[in-house]
Amino acid sequence: MGLGLRQGQALAEARAMHPAIDVVEENPVADKALLEGIADWCDRYTPLVALDGGDGLFLDITGCTHLFGGEQALLDDILLRLFRMGFKVQGAISGSPGLSWAACRFGTGGVIAEGAAKETLEDMPVACLRIGAEAAAALNKLGLKRVRDLFSLPRAPLAQRFGSHILLRLDQALGHQEEPISPRRPVGVLSVERRLAEAVQAEEDILELTARIARSLCFGLESRGAGGRFFELVLFRVDGRVFRIAAGASRPLRDARKIAGLFTERLKAVHDELDAGFGFELLRLNVLHHDPFEVLQGSIASKQEDEASLPDLIDRVSARLGEGMVQSFRFRESHVPERAVVQVPALSHISDAGNDEAPVTMTRAERPLRLLPRPEPMEAFAAIVPDGPPSRFRWRRVLHDVARAEGPERVSPEWWLDDVAEERDYFRLEVASGHRFWVYRQGRYRMDHRPTWHMHGIFA
Amino acid sequence: MAGHATAQERLFALRETIARLEGKTPMLVAEEQRERGKNPAVLTSRRVSLGIADVDAALEGGLPLDGMTEVRTSMMRDAGAGSGLVLALAALIQKQTGASALLWISDRVSNGEAGLPYPVGLAQYGVQVEHFLHAAPRTLEDALWLAETAAASGALAATILEIRGNPSSFGLSESRRLSLRAKAARRPILLLRHAGEEEASSALFRFHAASAPASERVLHTGAMLGGSIGFPVFRLILEKSRNPAPLSLLLEWNSHDRQFSHARRSEPSRLSTHAATHPGTRFPVSVDGPDRTPAVGRLLAFDRAS
Repeated sequence: MGLGLRQGQALAEARAMHPAIDVVEENPVADKALLEGIADWCDRYTPLVALDGGDGLFLDITGCTHLFGGEQALLDDILLRLFRMGFKVQGAISGSPGLSWAACRFGTGGVIAEGAAKETLEDMPVACLRIGAEAAAALNKLGLKRVRDLFSLPRAPLAQRFGSHILLRLDQALGHQEEPISPRRPVGVLSVERRLAEAVQAEEDILELTARIARSLCFGLESRGAGGRFFELVLFRVDGRVFRIAAGASRPLRDARKIAGLFTERLKAVHDELDAGFGFELLRLNVLHHDPFEVLQGSIASKQEDEASLPDLIDRVSARLGEGMVQSFRFRESHVPERAVVQVPALSHISDAGNDEAPVTMTRAERPLRLLPRPEPMEAFAAIVPDGPPSRFRWRRVLHDVARAEGPERVSPEWWLDDVAEERDYFRLEVASGHRFWVYRQGRYRMDHRPTWHMHGIFA
Repeated sequence: MAGHATAQERLFALRETIARLEGKTPMLVAEEQRERGKNPAVLTSRRVSLGIADVDAALEGGLPLDGMTEVRTSMMRDAGAGSGLVLALAALIQKQTGASALLWISDRVSNGEAGLPYPVGLAQYGVQVEHFLHAAPRTLEDALWLAETAAASGALAATILEIRGNPSSFGLSESRRLSLRAKAARRPILLLRHAGEEEASSALFRFHAASAPASERVLHTGAMLGGSIGFPVFRLILEKSRNPAPLSLLLEWNSHDRQFSHARRSEPSRLSTHAATHPGTRFPVSVDGPDRTPAVGRLLAFDRAS
């Protein structure tokens, strides 16, 4: 800030110093989005990236530095790339997040050697310990301006007077106390990536590369005896934008071709959103979740093949049209028709043993082929009071004459779930034109109350 | 109507010509069909027999497993009959091929109109529901892609595609595409068209289905229980086939034995003639009336006219 302005300065003061200053209102949402974008971009260095307030990022680079030629080279690379994108960034690498934070904001940054924590902190103001402005001001009032001043003080009175968090922060900065950072995204169980000398744009190239890197993923899966269920393909565009494409499989996968196949449909589905621009320079394939993999004995009989290809079909369809597109169902123990069956995405349930079990409460009374999404009110005429079928009814503006009727079948509400509903008396009706319907009367005839009639399903 | 009749006649004439070109006289065709009906061993393995001699003869051995078969209803209110026939065919396919997976691709509007397939009811109807899958794609394009992928995968016993009316985006080329997929994968596609017109398509056969009064329940003595609603009956017309004359018949689906039979003529039911013991007030059938019944009560004042 060559103008002598600083963060937190009053606008009036700044205007007094520089009348020609251009004022732009703060937009915290956009700032946050930008920081998230940079954090996404930083994923290329390590999967453990955490946000720090509104203007900082923590990267846990444990075990990553050798990939980039050492700590100094890594830091230089990050800073240079961000500088080229137009950001002025201060960075530091040290043994603890607290020390790096202090070195970035109150020092000169850079790589801080293992044993140099104390010397680095000594001359910094106490605010560098992330203790908040109030605590820093209280310390300043007592003449404790530098971190050095705290070193010589006995710990117990300090904690008593200012609270224990000052000591905690001090210990964290010195590395005596472990401080975990919480990454923004779940870390993949396994992850492979490919850096490209020349950026790729075409979908076929992306898929080809995905298949190739998936092959190296398979070794990792094999050594764990597992197969991946949820995969994430991360595409880093040249200009720093990051695309994440997730795909699920209905059963554990360990075949590179099939893993890439998941993304074939997925890429077609997200085609419009995936703007390749000048191309992607880095591809990463993460396994977000894996399950034990059972090796199927290959068989000459074609039946085995058939059974294996049903999950394949579901994977393809789910990748293209969404995970909830193909629905399977589960029977449940309930007499209320709409509660006896619950729909579940086939993707997550087809690999289970399948629903071989018969309906739990298999009723002898006949159920319709098609059940309306919700019972529709209808008018019933000349119903036999108190518990007979109607002799005529009007549904969807069409009058039907009942020729034959069967019933009633009483379905009582499940009082342990909801206590408001009245019991239903179901009837199968056949009308003069030969159509068969499933209707019910809700409630009973009382002096001041007439029950309502509802259409609920259609028979063959 | 006259135009329609002449068109039919010309069609018959053309069919006869084709039969002659193939070296068969129409008489021979009919005879051959009769032969096949008598001798089920002639049936090729790629057909699923319906178990009714004249239907199987008209279908040249049965329902084709490597092609598309269409079931059409004239009105949405016949959705029950259409769905029933398609599911009965699917149950037959399951029974005779041993495969069990079914995919029902439904149309969202039809779902609202006629309801969703209900697995408990399907199980009672004779369909194996262990691997019954259901999908309701947003657009017809998605539905067609899904049907194509499903048929081509070969993982399903049958794919059921439900559409409504005669959408322009499902024309001859799309139906040709579907039936080619079905042929290549040797897996059947059953097309269920609600409230649709006859239309040129690549389906090998087309049925027209309508509801008919159900047969009565059979008691263990063999007598029929009057007034009961037993197995469903469909009024079927085989509209499209190699057979020159459309075949029309009443078929009953026995969901216990999973087989078709000719509908037995049922007695007029007791309920329909005598209605109830206490029938209450019989309103006359309203004709040209308002859509809703007027509110019952005393009219005290008219609404303002001006």
